[in-house]
Amino acid sequence: MKKVEIFDPAMCCSTGVCGPSVDPELTRVASAVYSLEQKKFDITRYNLGNDPGAFVDNEVVNKVLLEKGPDALPLILVNNEVVKVGAYPTNEELAEWLDVKTAELQEKPRVRVSVKFDK
Amino acid sequence: MYPLFNPNKTALTPFLFFTGKGGVGKTSTACATAVSLADQGKKVLLVSTDPASNLQDVLGVELTNDPLAIPSVNNLFACNIDPEASAKAYREKVVGPYRGKLPDAVLSTMEEQLSGACTVEIAAFDEFSHLLSDEDVLNQYDHVLFDTAPTGHTLRLLQLPTAWTGFLEESTHGASCLGPLSGLGEKKELYAKAVESLSNPEKTTLILVSRPDVSSLVEANRASSELKDIGIKNQLLIINGLLQTHRPDDSVSTAFSERQRRALKETPEALKQVVTFSLPFVSYSLTGVDNLRHLFSSYTMTVFEDDSLSKETIYLPGLNKVIDDFSSKNIRVIFTMGKGGVGKTSIASAMAVGLSEKGHRVHLTTTDPAAHLAYTFEGGALRDNLTISSINPEIEVKKYQQEVLLAAGEGLDEEGIAYLKEDLESPCTEEIALFRAFADVVEKSENEIVVIDTAPTGHTLLLLDSTEAYHKEMSRSTGNVPESVKKLLPRLRNPKETGVVIVTLAEATPVLEAARLQEVLKRAQIDPKWWVINQSLYATDTTDAVLKGRAVSEIEWIKKVKEELAPQCAVIPWLHEEKIGYDSLKEFIDA
Repeated sequence: MKKVEIFDPAMCCSTGVCGPSVDPELTRVASAVYSLEQKKFDITRYNLGNDPGAFVDNEVVNKVLLEKGPDALPLILVNNEVVKVGAYPTNEELAEWLDVKTAELQEKPRVRVSVKFDK
Repeated sequence: MYPLFNPNKTALTPFLFFTGKGGVGKTSTACATAVSLADQGKKVLLVSTDPASNLQDVLGVELTNDPLAIPSVNNLFACNIDPEASAKAYREKVVGPYRGKLPDAVLSTMEEQLSGACTVEIAAFDEFSHLLSDEDVLNQYDHVLFDTAPTGHTLRLLQLPTAWTGFLEESTHGASCLGPLSGLGEKKELYAKAVESLSNPEKTTLILVSRPDVSSLVEANRASSELKDIGIKNQLLIINGLLQTHRPDDSVSTAFSERQRRALKETPEALKQVVTFSLPFVSYSLTGVDNLRHLFSSYTMTVFEDDSLSKETIYLPGLNKVIDDFSSKNIRVIFTMGKGGVGKTSIASAMAVGLSEKGHRVHLTTTDPAAHLAYTFEGGALRDNLTISSINPEIEVKKYQQEVLLAAGEGLDEEGIAYLKEDLESPCTEEIALFRAFADVVEKSENEIVVIDTAPTGHTLLLLDSTEAYHKEMSRSTGNVPESVKKLLPRLRNPKETGVVIVTLAEATPVLEAARLQEVLKRAQIDPKWWVINQSLYATDTTDAVLKGRAVSEIEWIKKVKEELAPQCAVIPWLHEEKIGYDSLKEFIDA
């Protein structure tokens, strides 16, 4: 399975609601990543604001940051190779990298219903 | 009618929290209690958690984060938890190790994110919970007293533990909004312990401090029930500044005493259930250790200088001059600022009335979480050109949450929405929601004069602080920022458009606090235009010994304001009636 890593800029919260206005792009990514995590895909987000170590330890990321500065974020790696700089992946891209259907990323969660029959 | 509060006669728990509306005397009561306990031989730590603390004014010592032995009182230690400083220290702890390893531009984006209101709140809470859950603290001290100043801040500080314990438990996918404090999960235990200590009646007592006046009793009642709801049930009430005797031949003294008795009669029912003590109204100011010691020894009088200081020594105009000034200069946005309890609401209301009398269209609003605007206008008919609104934090937060869910929730599945909702429960959402509401109101000043009665000092500072952060944030935001928000700070800074009025009382703490507030405003490039000294006994003709003692002690502070602090200064005498309703507010203006 492919490994997807998203290196976020320093953010107070990953949904973007803490900013002066909500960025719909951030909430879309947050919810897509969440649904992929639920399906046990290997996808991870690192926030510069609370996990700066990841931006130093990963040599690829560190090199891009030293060259391009904070504008390079968000930075997307697939199997440790840079695939996107300064923008979040679209749902289509995520679906392609991880070999899932785009629809699955927006799929409504299944609700488990348990029914008891009185005998 | 209430027994005098005396720490020597009342068994007290190890943790004591003083709360109440700003200006009711929490700091002096907490200090006097601490001094009294220490004099009994108990080892006492006095902690201030207010960003605009005045503990050091009362004790006359410079305080820091670390407990410091107070030289003049054996066994007494004090410290001042400054949330801004804690946040700064935290920021450096996070960013420091990466200097040289990441480019400076990257580091500065980190620092910026860690400068928000949430980080400050979190850092303050963090410090606070250490004291509450550290066994060493309890082993070292017999009593730890928390002087938590403005009420809004106190409530948030005290409510956080419960909210967060819930938050941490519910967060299954990493609480994103708590990001600024990485490794928060590890602290879960610490916070749980803090919550436990707070709601344990053997350990913690909440001491509600109120003046014998209606608005501070209402506020004490609100705090009491809110804190009871989150499990802090061991409470007692101190009525501070009760006039023991009065002179029937002195109209000010009679009115003063009458007003206190009437207010006490109207004490909210729930508050009547709380064990109540009183402290006397004293003729001296409660600063300095000696004066603090006097408080529990029932000295209500000290000898004051004789009458050589005649009324003519200090001449100051009334509020009508302030109104004339703003009216003639066509000021569009007017703020009253100052410590809680100094009468910002009354003065904002009176200015709104005065300006509307001059034919201006006026909108009056408040961001004070303990708003009493409706109360101030009770029973009075409004004019056509005067409208009133209030910014209620709770309602604004709900409105903002709904707006976000509507705008961003589209296309999200149920779990995505749940995820979003979780971030909307975070502490910083309130700051943002309030700021937007504030901006919306100021926007209105294009058609009318907006008079804003702002929140107590600490809260005001946070609000202004988020103004700054907001502006930085906006320059790189991708979402749609409302026009009103973009325009706000430049307008606040424009002296042709905005008039800031600092309201104070002629007493040490309010004056020193107001001076600090003015400094902060100046740093934010906002220059106050007027200072108004409210409720001055010096400006009355009382002959009552206790009141006169107070009147004389006002002189040095009136002079300080007039000569050193205020660009222009007005004074309002202590008035017989509480200003309720439109017509009586007019009286305020001409007093």
